[in-house]
Amino acid sequence: MIKNVLTDIGGIGIYGVVSICLFFAVFTGALIWSLLLKKADLDARSVLPLEDGTVVPAPKGNSSHE
Amino acid sequence: MNLETFKYDNRIVRAFAIVTVIWGLVGFSAGLLIACQLFWPELNLNLQYTTFGRLRPLHTNAVIFAFVGNGMFMGIYYSLQRLCKARMFSDTLSWINFWGWQAIIVSAAVTLPLGLTTSKEYAELEWPIDIAIALVWVAFTVNLLGTIVKRREKHIYVAIWFYISTALTVAMLHIVNSMEMPAGLFKSYSMYAGVQDALVQWWYGHNAVAFFLTTPYLGLMYYFLPKAADRPVFSYRLSIIHFWALIFIYIWAGPHHLLYTALPDWAQSLGMVFSLMLIAPSWGGMLNGLLTLRGAWHKLREEPMLKFMVVAVTAYGMATLEGPLLAIKSVNSLSHYTDWTIAHVHTGALGWNGFLTFSMLYWLFPRLYNTKLYSVKLANWHFWISLLGMMFYVVPMYWAGVTQGLMWKQFTSEGFMQYPNFLETVLQLFPMFRLRAIGGTLYIVGAFIMAYNLWRTAKQGQFVPEVEVQAAPLSAAPVHAEDKTVGWGHRAIEGKPMLLAALALVAVIIGGLVEFVPMWIIKENVPTIASVKPYTPLEVLGRDIYIREGCVGCHSQMIRPFRSETERYGEYSKAGEFVFDHPFLWGSKRTGPDLHRIGGKYPDAWHYNHMDDPRTTSPGSMMPRYSWLLTQKIDTNALAPRLSALRKVGVPYPVGFENGDAQKDLVAQSERVIANLKQGMITNAPANTEIIALIAYLQRLGTDIKVQAAAK
Repeated sequence: MIKNVLTDIGGIGIYGVVSICLFFAVFTGALIWSLLLKKADLDARSVLPLEDGTVVPAPKGNSSHE
Repeated sequence: MNLETFKYDNRIVRAFAIVTVIWGLVGFSAGLLIACQLFWPELNLNLQYTTFGRLRPLHTNAVIFAFVGNGMFMGIYYSLQRLCKARMFSDTLSWINFWGWQAIIVSAAVTLPLGLTTSKEYAELEWPIDIAIALVWVAFTVNLLGTIVKRREKHIYVAIWFYISTALTVAMLHIVNSMEMPAGLFKSYSMYAGVQDALVQWWYGHNAVAFFLTTPYLGLMYYFLPKAADRPVFSYRLSIIHFWALIFIYIWAGPHHLLYTALPDWAQSLGMVFSLMLIAPSWGGMLNGLLTLRGAWHKLREEPMLKFMVVAVTAYGMATLEGPLLAIKSVNSLSHYTDWTIAHVHTGALGWNGFLTFSMLYWLFPRLYNTKLYSVKLANWHFWISLLGMMFYVVPMYWAGVTQGLMWKQFTSEGFMQYPNFLETVLQLFPMFRLRAIGGTLYIVGAFIMAYNLWRTAKQGQFVPEVEVQAAPLSAAPVHAEDKTVGWGHRAIEGKPMLLAALALVAVIIGGLVEFVPMWIIKENVPTIASVKPYTPLEVLGRDIYIREGCVGCHSQMIRPFRSETERYGEYSKAGEFVFDHPFLWGSKRTGPDLHRIGGKYPDAWHYNHMDDPRTTSPGSMMPRYSWLLTQKIDTNALAPRLSALRKVGVPYPVGFENGDAQKDLVAQSERVIANLKQGMITNAPANTEIIALIAYLQRLGTDIKVQAAAK
């Protein structure tokens, strides 16, 4: 398939090779990055939606939000 | 620790929330109106402003950019502040974003029914509005990145990556696809022609789905789902892979909208392969969302917003499995141009975008108004009615799509077409169209129930315009030992928003370049045909009327190389036939038959009668009457700037042609059409009416290669 694609482009085969290499490089790069991350770090990041910051109590007591 | 006190801005979130509901109702209703027109053609009330052709882009733009667009801003403005522990970078930019976006929506709602359109799907708005979109988008992007830069939280949560990729990629898509040459205040011609225009358009169209309807909403899913389930996302590691794989693969898949067209084979194959690969990240994301609810499924009983969220994520999973399957060439040969595509997009739009937006609205309103939801019971009613509505919408459309696709391809045992009359295949679908309208009605009823529920919620609560919170500044954040030692890992990138943004942009640019550059630099990709000549002045004006009326919404101009198509329509379409087509008008749906070889098929008088009342020539047709074309005058003053603009984008009209010869040519060709009409017993056609120009254009379609054949 790849061979046909590159042949049909004609004259710029190297362009296709470069793009395939780039694709695999980015894909494996992202995969390796994610695998290298430590569990503690991941856990710290994954709880971010659950932390909105400390709500300051309003004097009249009716603006408590989260 | 030194804590800083600051306030989250809820006003901008509320503003976007309210318009999301309003535009949602408008967009859904426009959809219902045009859905009913398909089995009740008189429903446009014989007005040119309310035909299917003009309202279809209004429906798609309203739902995509007004409903989902505002819903996206609503969710981002709420979650970004909280994830960054910072107020938005600039309140002024927030409100420029809000009012600018509403002004764009209103201008779309005015210009599209007036027929002011580029005709490129989901990019129909004319050039002044395109510029406004770019400016407002810049305001949003600066506000987004500015907020991230001044954040108090060290880590940039994965939702924000999705927001960044959305902001940058949509800007790139919009600018590249909107390159057009103005030919008046509300008229322009695409800089690209034919095959190249098609490739750029579907690179845009496909990635508008990816980066406007998908990535921002995935970001919102990664924020609101853990929030509602009150537990972190199932796998943060998976979310990282999901992000990079999705944005990198999505951008390559655009050509799957052009399978079996005149687009070169290599580009089609590229689109198909990358589409299939998309299943992996899409399903990774879907499973990540659903598994977040592990151990929390009981919450669905108490929290209606979670029910909407689960259906949204499930619909995302279904649509992203179906999409790649539709991108397989053999499947596409059956599904393309049929209602199957309509079913597919509505699984995504009604299910994924609609239900996720409803889910966010049910979550936000009680919190914005510091109260409880007015009625959980009504929310549950909304859920079931809309879910039923969705089923009544998509199932008949699948049925209609497969039925029509098979009928088009059916041959008798003697080798003749079983259904040679296109209309026969349409009439078969009317029951499905009616069922679809019932489904749409149910969905809208549900949305009205939600609007009432949210309004009552707001009324019973007290709006909280700002929430005062405290958080430590970024400079006070503790530095972990591993942060110093591992400087090259993902940690290094995600701490630097600009680097993250640049890498995401590079990832999406690569796919586009690989597709475009060969199309632009390799001549053999678009073989020219010597007998294909530019349109005459009258035909240019006729083509502009074709564009104005949105004919491309129902008629393709691209005959695929199948026997079932060449038998029905004639010779298959070649890339070289479209080199002067600014913009291309290949279309994506055949509610009516393909028109690429319509030229010369019928006499001029047939077209005249057909436009006046389609049912006189095609009994049972659902096409609306276009009787105004018989009386409205051609705008000959527009000819000079239009020919000049076309020359600037590469159509070889001689210099000065528009100043004298063009007008003479126009008059001469009009007279020929009038003479032809007289032969067809139409003796009262005024010379300078729009119908004359449209007939001239239709009779030219697809005839240039016949000239070549005759010469041989």
